[in-house]
Amino acid sequence: MTTVLDVAVVGAGINGATAALFLARGGMRVALLDRGQICRQASGVNAGTLTMQMTRRALIPFALEAHAMWASAAEWLGHDVGVVVCDGLSLAFTDGEAQLLSERVAARREAGAPIDLVDGKRAQAIEPGVSDKVLLAGHCKVDGYANAYLTGLAFRRALEREGVAIMENRPVTGADRAQGAWALLTPEGTIRAKRVVLAGGVWLEDMASWFGCAIPIKVLINQLAVTERMPVAMRTVLGIASGLLSLKQYPHGTVVIGGGWQGLGDRVAGPRAVIPENLVGNVRLACHAVPALERSRIVRAWLGLEAETADALPAVGALPGVEDVAMVGSIHSGYTSGLSIARHFARWLLGAPLHPGIAAFDPARLVVRPGAR
Amino acid sequence: MTETIASRADVIVLGGGPAGMCAASAAARAGSDSLLIDENSQGGGQVYRAPPAAFAETSPGAFGPDHAIGASLRLALADSGARTAFGCRAWSVSRDVGGAGFRVDVCDDNGLKAWRAPALVVATGATERVLPFPGWTLPGVHGLAAATVMLKAQKLLPGERVAVAGCGPLLLAVAAGIAKAGGKVAGVIDLASVSDWLRVLPGALSRPDLLARGAAWVAGIAAAGTPYLRRHAVTAALGDDRVSAIALSPVAADGTVDRASQPLRIDCDALVIGHGLVPNCDVTRILGATHRYAPADGGWIAVRDGDMRTSIPGLYMAGDGGGISGAAAAALQGELAGLAAARDLGALAAQRHLDLAAPLRRRLGRAMRFGRAMAGLMVERPGLVASIPAETPVCRCEDVTRAEIDQAVAEGAREVNQVKAWTRCGMGPCQGRMCGDTVAAVVARLVGGRSAAGAFTARVPLRPVPTAQLIGSFDYADIPIPRPAPL
Amino acid sequence: MSRRIEKGVQRPPPVTILVDGRLVPAFPGESVATALLAAGYVAFRKSPRAGKPRGPFCMIGSCQECLIRVGEVPVPACQATVREGLEVTLGGTQ
Ligand SMILES: Cc1cc2nc3c(=O)[nH]c(=O)nc-3n(C[C@H](O)[C@H](O)[C@H](O)COP(=O)(O)OP(=O)(O)OC[C@H]3O[C@@H](n4cnc5c(N)ncnc54)[C@H](O)[C@@H]3O)c2cc1C
Repeated sequence: MTTVLDVAVVGAGINGATAALFLARGGMRVALLDRGQICRQASGVNAGTLTMQMTRRALIPFALEAHAMWASAAEWLGHDVGVVVCDGLSLAFTDGEAQLLSERVAARREAGAPIDLVDGKRAQAIEPGVSDKVLLAGHCKVDGYANAYLTGLAFRRALEREGVAIMENRPVTGADRAQGAWALLTPEGTIRAKRVVLAGGVWLEDMASWFGCAIPIKVLINQLAVTERMPVAMRTVLGIASGLLSLKQYPHGTVVIGGGWQGLGDRVAGPRAVIPENLVGNVRLACHAVPALERSRIVRAWLGLEAETADALPAVGALPGVEDVAMVGSIHSGYTSGLSIARHFARWLLGAPLHPGIAAFDPARLVVRPGAR
Repeated sequence: MTETIASRADVIVLGGGPAGMCAASAAARAGSDSLLIDENSQGGGQVYRAPPAAFAETSPGAFGPDHAIGASLRLALADSGARTAFGCRAWSVSRDVGGAGFRVDVCDDNGLKAWRAPALVVATGATERVLPFPGWTLPGVHGLAAATVMLKAQKLLPGERVAVAGCGPLLLAVAAGIAKAGGKVAGVIDLASVSDWLRVLPGALSRPDLLARGAAWVAGIAAAGTPYLRRHAVTAALGDDRVSAIALSPVAADGTVDRASQPLRIDCDALVIGHGLVPNCDVTRILGATHRYAPADGGWIAVRDGDMRTSIPGLYMAGDGGGISGAAAAALQGELAGLAAARDLGALAAQRHLDLAAPLRRRLGRAMRFGRAMAGLMVERPGLVASIPAETPVCRCEDVTRAEIDQAVAEGAREVNQVKAWTRCGMGPCQGRMCGDTVAAVVARLVGGRSAAGAFTARVPLRPVPTAQLIGSFDYADIPIPRPAPL
Repeated sequence: MSRRIEKGVQRPPPVTILVDGRLVPAFPGESVATALLAAGYVAFRKSPRAGKPRGPFCMIGSCQECLIRVGEVPVPACQATVREGLEVTLGGTQ
C-alpha cells in the first residue's frame, strides 16, 4: 500500500497553498494537488488589491490581520510578492454614491476598519492623480496591493522549504474511503491521506459532490485590464463607493483596472470572453477617477473566476456528515482575507479551537441536499 | 456620448492580405454580404503592401511585379461588391452573446463599432520569427519583413550598408530589393547551405516563374560582388547606440553556432534579419478553436478542413495564419474560405460550390508545393535556439533575458504562462507577440517539448488600444455601473 | 546619401512635421517612422527596464519598439501617417 499522508489539500490557490504551508509548519505531512499549476486561477490573475474598502463587513477583522501578513510576507513567506502598502480612497462622484459611501464607511468602521470620510479637496491632497469631480471619499491608511502573478512563485518556494509535496497537473476526479483513510483519485493514481482539505475556488461545488454534498457555488467572471507602463499617474489604491472600480499603479508603471465588471465564462469552460461594453465601461470609470489614464493604452484584458456562496459569505469548516474532510474558500476579496482565514483554518485542523468568527462560515449552512457518505 | 455602433454582415473577413482580399471577394461574388477589415489604409497585407496612395510610379511597372499582383487583387475586391473597412483596428473578437456567430469590435478615430456576422474568416497572416542574439535590440537592427515594408511600401532603404541575414526566400528578396533600389548590401548571411536549397528544389519546381525570379536574385547578388556566407549566423550586432558592425560564425545544419572558429566581422549601419515566419493565430485561439503544433507549418496552427473550416462552425482560417504556405496559396485558400462561408450560409448551392472549388483546389495543390518548399527553409532550427546566450534579452519589451527564463523553469515553472508570471516576459506592450514563439522554444527544451511548454494565452485587445479611443466621450451618468457588491 | 529610394517613385510635395519641437521634412502618406529614420533619428525611446536605446524593428505595428506620441496619444511611429504639422514626441510612454 502506498504511504498515507496526514493531509491532502486539493486546489493550490491562495487558500489551499496557505493551509498547506501552515499545516506543514505544524508538523503534518502534506501534499498539495492542483489540476493545473500553483496559483494560476483566481489567486494568480486577480487584481491584487489588499483593501478594507471592498471587503465584506464580516470579513474586516480577517482582512486587517491578512493585510499585516501580506505586509510582512518577506519574513514569514520568504518573498514579498511585490506588496506595496499605501493609502486607499473609495470615491463618490454623485450624491447617491456619497450616501452609499457614508453608510458603508460607517458599517466598516464599526467592524474595525480605520476609514475616515474626507471631502474632494482632501482626497486630491491625498491623491493628486484623482479627478476634481470627487464629492466625498473614504480614506483608509490600511490599504495596498500585491503583485498577484508572483503568488505562485512565492508559495512554491516556501512550500518546498517546508517539505510539502507539490503535485501540479494532477486533477482529482473523486474520492474513496478505504482502511480509515481517503483515497483521492487522479489519472496518475491515487493519493492516500488521513484528511482531505478542499480548496477548489469556484470548483468547490464539484469537490463537495465527490463526498455526496451539494453546496451551490455561484461563479463570478471578473474582468481586468492593464495599461502599458506610463508615467506616475497615482500612488494610492482607488475604488468607488459601489465597489465596481479598483485602480492601482505598480512601481514599474502599469495600471491595473478592475472592480468586478463581468465577462463571459463558466466553471466548466473557464473564462471565455471579455465583454467589450463592460471593458469600455470599466475603463471609462477609471478615466473619470484618474484623468491621466486617458494618455495610456490598454494592452491586455483578462478574466478570472471568483466563487460566491448563496449568502456571499465564505465556506470554511468541516464538510457536514463527512469524516475528515473540510473546505476553505469562497471568500469575497479572498486574495486579501484568504491568508488569515486559511491560517486559522489550518490551526484548527492542527487541533486549536476554531476561531469564533470563522465558526459562522460553517459549510453546513450552505448544503442544499445533504446525503453525505 | 459615443456609444458602440452595431452593424451586421454575412461574412466578416479579418485581415486584408491576399487571403483576406480573396475571401471577401469570393464571398461577395457568391452573393454574401461580406466585409473586409484591416488596420492598413489599403488591401495588400505584408506581401502586396502598397506605397501610400499619394506616391506614384514614374513608369508603369516601376513598383515591381508584386505591386501589380496586389493592384489586381485590390481591383477584384472593389469589383466584387465586398464592403471594406480599412484604417480600422479590430481590438476584440468574441462569440456573439446570445446570437450565433461572431462579433468583431473595432475602433478608429471615429469611435467604437461592433460588427456581427454568422461567419468569420480569419486571414491574419504571419509574424516574423527573429531569434535573439546579443545586440539584436540595437537601433538599426530590423526584421526582414520590416525591410520589405521599407522597400516596397515606404520606399526607404534600411541603411547605407545593409547586412541581410537569416533564412528563407525573404533573405534573397530583400537583398535583391536593396540592390535594385540603389542601396549597398554589405553581405548576405544565410543559415542554409547550398544543399539545403537544393533539397527544396523539387517542390520549388512547381512554380518555375518564381524559381527563375529567385535564381535572378542570387545571380544579381553574385554579380554585385556581395559576400554571400552560407551556413552562417549573426552572433552579435555590435555598436553602442546603433548597429555599426555584426559578428558571424559558422553554424551546423540545426543552427548550432560553432563558437570554436574565429568569428567574422562585417561593418554595416543596418542589419535586417529574420528566421522564418510564424502563423498568427491569436484570433482563432481567443475564439477557442482547436490548434495543433506543426513545426513544418511554422508553429501552432488552427486545425481545419480542405475548405478552411476550423473546429468552430462558421469560423474559417485562410492564408499563412493557418500554416506558412506563401502568397499564392494564401489567395487560393482565401477564395476557398469565402466560397465555403457563402455555401455554409446558404448563399451558394452545394453543387455550384463544388464546381467553383474544384479548380481552386487543384491550383492550391501546386501553390502549396512551392509554398511548403519555401517554408522548409524557414523552420525553427533548434540549435539556434540552444545557442541564445544567457544574458541576451529574449523579451524586448521587458528586457527579460534567457537566463531569467531558464531560472524560472529551474524554480518549477512548467509552461510559458507561468514563466511569464514569474519574469514579466511577454507582459510588455507587444504582449509576447514578438517573443512568444522563442520563449516557448526555450522552455520546450527544458520541459519536454512544445506541447508541454504551451503558448502564451491570447487575449484581447489584439493590439494596444489608446485609452482615449476606447472610451470616446461620455457622461458619467451614462456609464452602466453594475449593482453595488453586497456589504 | 538619402535613405529614401528615388528610383521609380514620384512623391507628393514634402511637408514638415514637428519632432520634439524641431521641424523635420516628411512626405505625406509615409509613416512617421520612415520620416524619422530618413531624417537620421535612430533611437526613438529607451527600453523601460534596461534603459537601452530602441528604434523601429518590425515596421508593422506589432513590436511597439518605435512608440512615440502624436499629440497626447501613444502610437507606434510605423503606424502613424505623416501629414502637415503633425506634432510628435519621442521617448515612448515613460
Ligand atoms: C479577476 C479577479 C480579481 C480579483 N481581485 C481581487 C482583489 O483585488 N483583492 C482580493 O482580495 N481578491 C480578489 N479576487 C478574489 C480572489 O482572487 C479569490 O478570492 C481567491 O484568489 C480565491 O482563492 P482560492 O484558493 O479559493 O481559489 P483559486 O485560486 O481559484 O484556486 C482553486 C484551485 O483549485 C484547483 N482545482 C479545481 N478543480 C480541481 C480538481 N478537480 N483537482 C485539483 N485541483 C483543482 C484549480 O486549478 C485552482 O488552482 C479577485 C478574483 C478575480 C477572479
